Amino acid sequence: MRLLWGFVTLSLCVYHTVAATDPQITATPGDEVFPGNETSVTLGCSITDAPSPIKGSYWTKNGEKIKNTETEGADATTEYSIDKITNTAGGKYACVFDTQPQSIKEIEVKTPTHVKPYKESEHGNENDKGVLTCVSHGYPLPLDWFWFKVTGDSEVAIINGTEKYEIKSTPERTILYVKALDMTADMGDYVCKGDNGLGMATGQIHLRVRSRLAALWPFLGIVAEVIVLIAVIFIYEKKRKPDEVTDGSAPLKSNSATNHKDKNVRQRNSN
Amino acid sequence: MRPMTTRWREQKRSISGLHAMTAKEPVKRQQQPPEGGWGWVVVGALFVVSCLVYGLIRSLGVFFVEFVQYFGETAQAVSWITSIGLAMQQLFSPLATALCNMYGTRPIVMIGGLLSGLGFILASQATSLTHLYLTMGLISGIGWAFIFTPTVGAVMQYFTRRRSLAMAIGFTGVGLSSFAFSPLFQFLLETYAWRGALLILGGMSLNMVACGALIRPVTFTKAMEKTVQNSSLLSRLSVYFELPLLLQRPFLTYGAAITFFNAGYFVPYVHLVAHSRTAGFSEYQSAFVISATGVTDILGRVLSGWVSDLGRLRLVHMLCLWTLLLGLFLLALPLGTMGGYAGLLTTSLAQGLCSGAMTPLVFAVVPEIVGMERMLGALGLLQLIESIGGLLGAPLSGWLKDTTGSYSASFAMAGGFLLLGSAVTTTLPGFCSCAVPKAHSDAEGGTPMTEEPKEKS
Repeated sequence: MRLLWGFVTLSLCVYHTVAATDPQITATPGDEVFPGNETSVTLGCSITDAPSPIKGSYWTKNGEKIKNTETEGADATTEYSIDKITNTAGGKYACVFDTQPQSIKEIEVKTPTHVKPYKESEHGNENDKGVLTCVSHGYPLPLDWFWFKVTGDSEVAIINGTEKYEIKSTPERTILYVKALDMTADMGDYVCKGDNGLGMATGQIHLRVRSRLAALWPFLGIVAEVIVLIAVIFIYEKKRKPDEVTDGSAPLKSNSATNHKDKNVRQRNSN
Repeated sequence: MRPMTTRWREQKRSISGLHAMTAKEPVKRQQQPPEGGWGWVVVGALFVVSCLVYGLIRSLGVFFVEFVQYFGETAQAVSWITSIGLAMQQLFSPLATALCNMYGTRPIVMIGGLLSGLGFILASQATSLTHLYLTMGLISGIGWAFIFTPTVGAVMQYFTRRRSLAMAIGFTGVGLSSFAFSPLFQFLLETYAWRGALLILGGMSLNMVACGALIRPVTFTKAMEKTVQNSSLLSRLSVYFELPLLLQRPFLTYGAAITFFNAGYFVPYVHLVAHSRTAGFSEYQSAFVISATGVTDILGRVLSGWVSDLGRLRLVHMLCLWTLLLGLFLLALPLGTMGGYAGLLTTSLAQGLCSGAMTPLVFAVVPEIVGMERMLGALGLLQLIESIGGLLGAPLSGWLKDTTGSYSASFAMAGGFLLLGSAVTTTLPGFCSCAVPKAHSDAEGGTPMTEEPKEKS
């Protein structure tokens, strides 16, 4: 009986503690914010039923504290303005009140899909594989990626898993592999499209296919130049000082001795 | 006091020269380096070599963007290519100089040119990142080892009085080519795709074979009169590799000094961009700081070479001075950043100047310490020893940045290493005297060391 009474008291205490630390934080404009076409947006948090006196507050984005958002004081409301809405403005924001324990409310800022080609023009070699990449820096990241090839005025969808094409996609990036590049058929524009639920965005990449032999001619030219240079150097050396090349010490010795003599004469005269 | 000692030294040298002429023994090597003349052609070879080795390495960044995408690897995995290449260059330096002692500098540099070109040519056919490690890293790296240190040694053999200036002019190739190569490599990538571009770079590297051909022998292969021809292989190898140097205090002291220098020297090159971005400056501002520092680097090299050869101070003293200044400026860099963009720019420019200034001196000082005969082998060994500094400095600075959250600690550490190395330089034997002391090897009855004449040019 006493055991049961103790258990009930304990569970009531726990329930009380849990209930007491369940603060109500209201977020403005809401838990999910869609800036859309607006140039700026202000996030706000307002706390009621704080578990302990409020000492201050700050904001975080994707888990990291945002600089200069720390305030001290017992203010039950706090605001954060995002001045410029770009694709990087999206993310998981949170207002944090400095209470015991901390009270946190998460606000998701969702921007329209952002898609950007990793490189706008790509170069590949004939018969080699071509790699085209598109990336997304935004929030949320695309759920679906699509690739198209531009032929004339229309876009032809590219299907993954054929002999020619392979697509590897993650939310942050999508990679299109074009195998066995052909100079006439594969050169041109490719379009990547991504959708994160808030609309489709596109990026365009121009693929150029170079012949394997294209670089060979300049290379052979340079090799020829090197061979000619070396031949000239050796022939010049042989013609200019044949004795220096064949017989080492004697001529050099006499040169140095002459230098010594000259230097001695100069030294004595000057001093 | 000075003119008298100079004259005495000149007379002493001339007497020994006469002795050498009249003595019946074969002269092992020329007594006087041929200042000027063909020497400047060799300096030109060193210029081209600096371009095609270090200038090339510095501009490979544009290829890495392609490799990351094509092979699907991380940037860190791709950056191992240059790490392996540089490590091979330093690791195989003693072997390169030993081979030069055996066969002469010219054939070794030419073989090095072939290897470095071959590495890039094979790399153009790579199908995986490992292939690139083996070709661009291993093969080209060994080629660079066979080229760089021997060419530096060759220039030093050609000059005494103007040694620092010759080295400085030779090294300007690095800075100037990294300005030119970045746009050039970008163009090659766009015109020929990375495979074609690597092939062409291989061809360009083959030019270093021609540079090797320019190195006419001044000194001959190391005379074996001292050690008997039939002595054991090990003892002959140890002579070629100059291993006895490892037991000599002056050499070890200098080795320790340059290890410390190397630990701090590269930190600004690696971290300056990131540091200025973290301090809140824009991409363009950061890029400008780097470019401007590159210009002062080149100026510092030439300035230091010219000033050192005026002969007011001994080379060792100049080196000590420049490294002391560099250490101080590195320590000042985080403080300068706090003073805004102007502060960062001025400390950065000063640091670039001192960095460039110490580079030719680090090599030019070696004959003062070990003597001309052992200079080549010493250079090779020093390259190997200083690689320890590089291996130590880079990860340590990265770790400091990760733990403290800013680059100030890394720069402070770099400055500290430079100051430490500077202090170690002062412990070199004979540091405090105004005259260059006889090097250790001369005590064994070798040829008299070429000294720095104090007369004005």
